[in-house]
Amino acid sequence: MIKPQDDQSLPDSAKGVTRDLASRIASAKRERDIEARRASASGSAEMTGMGRGVRIGTEFIAAILVGAVIGYLIDLGLGTRPWGLLIMFLVGFAAGILNVTRVVTEMNKAAPPPPGPDLGPDMDEDDDR
Amino acid sequence: MADPNKVDPIHQFAITDVFSTGEGGFAFTNSALFMVLTVGLIIIYLVGSTAGRRLIPGRAQVVSELLYEFVANMVRGAAGTEGMKFFPFVFSLFMFVLVANMFGMIPFFFTVTSHIIVTFALAMLVFVVVIAYGFYRNGFKFLKLFVPAGVPSYVLPIVVPIEIVSFLSRPISLSVRLFANILAGHITLKVFAGFIVSLGSLGALGFLGASLPLIMTIAITALEFLVAALQAYVFAVLTSMYINDAIHPSH
Repeated sequence: MIKPQDDQSLPDSAKGVTRDLASRIASAKRERDIEARRASASGSAEMTGMGRGVRIGTEFIAAILVGAVIGYLIDLGLGTRPWGLLIMFLVGFAAGILNVTRVVTEMNKAAPPPPGPDLGPDMDEDDDR
Repeated sequence: MADPNKVDPIHQFAITDVFSTGEGGFAFTNSALFMVLTVGLIIIYLVGSTAGRRLIPGRAQVVSELLYEFVANMVRGAAGTEGMKFFPFVFSLFMFVLVANMFGMIPFFFTVTSHIIVTFALAMLVFVVVIAYGFYRNGFKFLKLFVPAGVPSYVLPIVVPIEIVSFLSRPISLSVRLFANILAGHITLKVFAGFIVSLGSLGALGFLGASLPLIMTIAITALEFLVAALQAYVFAVLTSMYINDAIHPSH
């Protein structure tokens, strides 16, 4: 950091050094901010792939289970043997899809693409990685 | 466990009585014991570390304050300033799950959260609080949660049951996620550790082979610490998001 200059340097050059240092500090801070934001984004939103998978899987299966159980209970109560289970199973399936889309939307919102590479309007470059 | 050919990865989840008052009476199990230990450790640590109330905190107090800030920011971010009413609730849940998971990582300790009934009870607690507060605060407007805005009325008979099932599935997915992560992690750990024992008993070549599952076990142990913290975080985040639904039912 400290340049081996003579101590009796002119105030002009000293000012220049300070300005240079200030801009360097600013750019370093900016970099650190970006880094921290990326770290928190990927760190907070379930960073392990397994966690992500289990999250989506449970959301999907739980809805199907709940739908099927409700249908079964309707059948038990009303004596409409297969229909309650069949219909509510499908409703549960739809609810599972809804859950999954919600979770994925939220995950995408939590981890936006890094600002560096411009992916452009069509994401064809994604195939390369 | 003495017999190397008989590794039982499920044995660690067995519930045993520490003491009981006869058949069908009150029984204090190892699960209950570790719940008490979990709560005890949380209370002792948090109360003990913040008792000094120093302006310049010591190490223990910094950890407590970090935990507080972390959960407070999470609740504020997910449920707004109004959600801070539920901060004690979310903080208690977070600390309980976190410390219970971490206790589970210590050898020979019982993992409370590896039983679905425990996680389901926690999830039902969240669910009931959300429903009760939602109706208390919004009255019947809370039911707008099931009617998304901008949906034409002729699709509502299909959309509303789907939304209701989606809402009812929350406690299931919340509890199954925590339980499945912890259970799967502990079983994997045990199975790989079992490979070390059975391979190591095969002589010199087996000794060489046993180093592979040993490396794997170390890696999985590290991963499990991550999962333990992460699942506590996920549980708390989802709780505060559901609380946000109770406060603002129209999404």
